[in-house]
Amino acid sequence: MSDLSEKLAAYLAGQMPGTSEVAVSDLSRISGGASRETYRFRLDWRDAAGSAASRLLILRKDPVDSLIDTERRTEFSAYRAFHGSAVPVPEMLYLEEDESHLGSPFFVAEQIAGFEAGPMQLLGPPYAEHHPAYAQRKWTILGEIARADPAAVGLTEGMESPALDACWSRELDHWEAIIDADALEPLPIIRAAIRWLRANPPPPAQKLSVVHGDYRTGNFLYDQAGGIHGILDWEMAHLGDPLEDLGWSFNPIWRWGRPGLVGGLAPREQAIAIWERASGLVADPAALHWWELFNCVKGQGIWVSSSKAFADGKNRDPILAFSGWLMGNAQDRAALEVMDKL
Amino acid sequence: MLGQLAAWLTRDLAPGVAAYQQSALGMSAGLIGMCIEEADRAVARRVEENAAIRGLLARGADLVEARLSARLQALAEGADASLLVSALEAVNAELRAALIDLHAAVEALDGEAARALEADIWAELRASTERRRLSAGTV
Repeated sequence: MSDLSEKLAAYLAGQMPGTSEVAVSDLSRISGGASRETYRFRLDWRDAAGSAASRLLILRKDPVDSLIDTERRTEFSAYRAFHGSAVPVPEMLYLEEDESHLGSPFFVAEQIAGFEAGPMQLLGPPYAEHHPAYAQRKWTILGEIARADPAAVGLTEGMESPALDACWSRELDHWEAIIDADALEPLPIIRAAIRWLRANPPPPAQKLSVVHGDYRTGNFLYDQAGGIHGILDWEMAHLGDPLEDLGWSFNPIWRWGRPGLVGGLAPREQAIAIWERASGLVADPAALHWWELFNCVKGQGIWVSSSKAFADGKNRDPILAFSGWLMGNAQDRAALEVMDKL
Repeated sequence: MLGQLAAWLTRDLAPGVAAYQQSALGMSAGLIGMCIEEADRAVARRVEENAAIRGLLARGADLVEARLSARLQALAEGADASLLVSALEAVNAELRAALIDLHAAVEALDGEAARALEADIWAELRASTERRRLSAGTV
């Protein structure tokens, strides 16, 4: 770890002209970095006047093979687009795609310290009594993401802008291809879901929105009193139908064993009402159902990819095998439930 | 014995290591727990499922076009020659791939027999998730 600390300090010193004594300490890898290796660390330096300064930061570094194959520039740009807005995100500081510095691309960001992210912890005391407040905040923030103008936040340059009537096919084509390539065994439930989705396409998107891509309980930082202070894991961000994110947040696998409560937090209709108020959009029931089923396909795409990466020996992080196996089975059951076949 | 190994990872080793390693040990213990669940049922669930799918393929062979029908019939007449999990799994994969093709074909057919078979395919798919269900599952 000290070698990484030294290389990181050298890189950051080069990014901070006029400073001296730039040092990295307390560098430690943290969990939750299934698609990136994530480290927290403390940076100390002296400014040009010689005053000491320090900051808690995050390093997100590409692994050899990740749970989700995405460009780190996409994630960096999405975070940066929402910094300072009603959508709480950490400040992005440096993006480096040159592998010569740390062996793989990475970015450095502000560390939002003092909050929790684990989904299971959120379900118990002292958090459980504040679930209505978390739900209000969670789907309000998602509504804000949906409401944002992708051009105004600077994301139309680096991200493809599909036609409103092509948002669904772009995503379905993408995830079906991943399943075709990575599935280690036949998936009759998910194949049936794909056939239904193609035979019953949704209406065109109401607008082109920023889609977080993994907006769920487990991907935000929360306090003990119903507050949410950081939306994380934007690596699957793209432009598309705003109902895609709402459908992903309703994926039964993300209710963490709490039937009847989307995200484990709130009744479905309540979450929809919060989202509609915040976004100014309408969650057409038939369209939302399409996106909920699509997200079961997408979820299975993620789980088969993670299983394959582990089985191929490209990445030995046990989260890949654990999530691939555990969530793959749950995702099949979720698809049956969404299709009213369970 | 494997349960003791999982407990050793989480209770004895994990407290002494950093956050990421703690998480990795927890995941590894979880995987061991899933292996314990699966080991007990590994042969039984595959034998049961292979037989159930063969029954569906035999019925489907009477409804679909000739080429698919011949493939379904051949698979339906097969048997589990070995009780090794690897052998059962290979047969299961072939049968489930054929079930996908049968399901798609039946969806496109009219008639009561097709609807009845389609309903029974869904029942088998429901049963397939129960056979694979893990106690730690979120759904």
